[in-house]
Amino acid sequence: MRGLRPLVEKEVKDLLRDPRIYIGLIIPIIMFPIIGFAISMTTSQAMEAAREKITVTIIDEDRTEASERFISLLSDSGLNVTVSAKSLDEAIKSADKLGSKALLVIHRGFEESLKRFGRVNIEIYSVIRSMGFKSMGVQAAVSNVLKRTSEVLSSTLISRVAPDVDPEVLRNPLNVTEYSVVKGKIIHAPSGSIFGQLMIGHGVLVPMILFVLSMTVTQIAATATAVENEEKTLETLLTFPVSRYDILLAKLLGSSVVAALGGVIFAAGFVLYFQTCFSSIGLEFGVGGLLTELPPPPSLSYAILIVSLILAILFVTSLGVVMGALSSDVRIASSLLSVIIIPVLLPSLLIVYGSVDSLPLALQILVYAMPTSYPMIMAKEIILTPMPMQVIYGIPYSAALTLIVLYAASKILTPEKLLTLQYKIKLRRIKKERRWELE
Amino acid sequence: MAERIRMANDRIVEINSLVKRFGELTALDEVSFNVNKGEIFGLIGPNAAGKTTTLRILATLLLPTSGRVRILGYDVVEEASKVRRLISYLAEDAGTYRNLTGYEYLSIVARIYFRSKRDIEEAVEEAVRISGLGDRIMDKMKTYSKGMKRRIQVARALMTRPKIAILDEPTAGLDVFHAQHVRDLIKRHISNGGSIILSSHNMLEVEHLCTRLAFIHKGRIITEGEPEEIKAIYGASNLEEAFLEVLKR
Repeated sequence: MRGLRPLVEKEVKDLLRDPRIYIGLIIPIIMFPIIGFAISMTTSQAMEAAREKITVTIIDEDRTEASERFISLLSDSGLNVTVSAKSLDEAIKSADKLGSKALLVIHRGFEESLKRFGRVNIEIYSVIRSMGFKSMGVQAAVSNVLKRTSEVLSSTLISRVAPDVDPEVLRNPLNVTEYSVVKGKIIHAPSGSIFGQLMIGHGVLVPMILFVLSMTVTQIAATATAVENEEKTLETLLTFPVSRYDILLAKLLGSSVVAALGGVIFAAGFVLYFQTCFSSIGLEFGVGGLLTELPPPPSLSYAILIVSLILAILFVTSLGVVMGALSSDVRIASSLLSVIIIPVLLPSLLIVYGSVDSLPLALQILVYAMPTSYPMIMAKEIILTPMPMQVIYGIPYSAALTLIVLYAASKILTPEKLLTLQYKIKLRRIKKERRWELE
Repeated sequence: MAERIRMANDRIVEINSLVKRFGELTALDEVSFNVNKGEIFGLIGPNAAGKTTTLRILATLLLPTSGRVRILGYDVVEEASKVRRLISYLAEDAGTYRNLTGYEYLSIVARIYFRSKRDIEEAVEEAVRISGLGDRIMDKMKTYSKGMKRRIQVARALMTRPKIAILDEPTAGLDVFHAQHVRDLIKRHISNGGSIILSSHNMLEVEHLCTRLAFIHKGRIITEGEPEEIKAIYGASNLEEAFLEVLKR
């Protein structure tokens, strides 16, 4: 084990200074907040537009006291109102010239209908000039003003019939206060918010980080090993007085350390994305805010999560090393990896986007066959089911499978086998390329 | 044990009836020779003669199909881990870690071979000196020329003070100045009590550098001896002529 430390140091330094690696690590921390910022900016634009004085053109066919009062209500609600006496087609043209965002038509019989407590018909023609969030915000603002005016009219009518009754009570006789009960604890939040927070936090955020971590670690391990072949450094490395296990372990640890760093950066980027994305649109509790209200899972659950995560990372790193060792260059490693990574990581996506129990049996078997599934199941279930049985059984299984892959990796880490296997893979690739060319 | 000590005193490498087959191809066919302490032993032959295969077996990278290979009495197959402590191997196309500096690389290798801080520092200091890279030792190796990369590899191979350094084409692709520098390093290693086995295409270089050599062709050792001895046997003025004469016969 004496040679392990310098070898790990070599791996970490060489990987962290490789642009192919560090650019990949830096991108999430830049990309996610930028996306979040773009989304929050467009949302803010829409909200800003809603606060601006919006010009609307009105065709008043009724020309009564009630219709005029209605128009003045709209004006009091913040709309810049222009009354037009023209026909609909002409009014649309002049609305366009005036920069009106909408055209409202009050039909004849407006006052009469109100007096009879009948419904009155208002037509609204939205003038769409662009497809941006700002336009959307303007149209939403016009609808809101109409909704508020409708409520004022409704209150006036109710007061006329029943002067002693609160119009709001008649409109909404049920006063509902929502609470959620999680593991016996009452949370002062509707169930929708809890589901939303769980979905963002444990349902999407954590599994996505684990997914990206698995992808990154496999890629890094495969690249690191393939580069040793490509740059002809593996041969020298294998003549050093260190065991094959030390070389393998150094690759696993080096790749895992760099990938873990990538995972932290990705997590930071992803959290920043959610924060920038939702902070401006009123996510009162922030990401995971409500989850702090929930009873915390026992520490054993976190221990299980960590163990399953370590096993999953060791498993995918070993696979990466095997793929890299079998490849005479990075290009072949990437091709091999793209084939093997799909069945390994597909179950993880199935877990993120659905429930394992509702999957067909074949997919359920695939999910439980992959050690990468267990930390995701654990992360998803940890709040509501601290000890999921499938994860408890999955840990010894993952450990056994990882040991098998590690053993296989150490066995092929001899030039005798590597050269033969690399030659066979290269030959197969050349044959395949020739066949494509012929076709 | 006594036999091992005796062998350690004079015979460093012992190869008996070595055969290596890759599928149907016989790369080495009954190869036998020895390398003694303080020798620079040259393995000379054309491309695909079996030079690199022999050196790779000595370096514990490939397994013999049959025959016996021992270094200081240790079998390269059964006692590979002990053999690795005694040797250092320089592959013909040995690459470098692009993103490490020359100093970092030498320091990492020294930490693998030596335990005490003092030994590590001494080894790195020696390697830096023999590489002759000066301040460039602190630059990343991706900025090095081919000659500089070769010099750092030779320094790496010799700094561990191996009982036997296995050098595959140590001066291949180097210009005359860099090649001379590497040849000087090889001679210095011998004067410090080491032994060397090297392969080369360059007959002139071998003639001036090696104390003993073997001609290898199509996986077989054709002749073995001191350069002057071989030249005299075949009535040749240099090793190149001698090699061609051997092939004719």
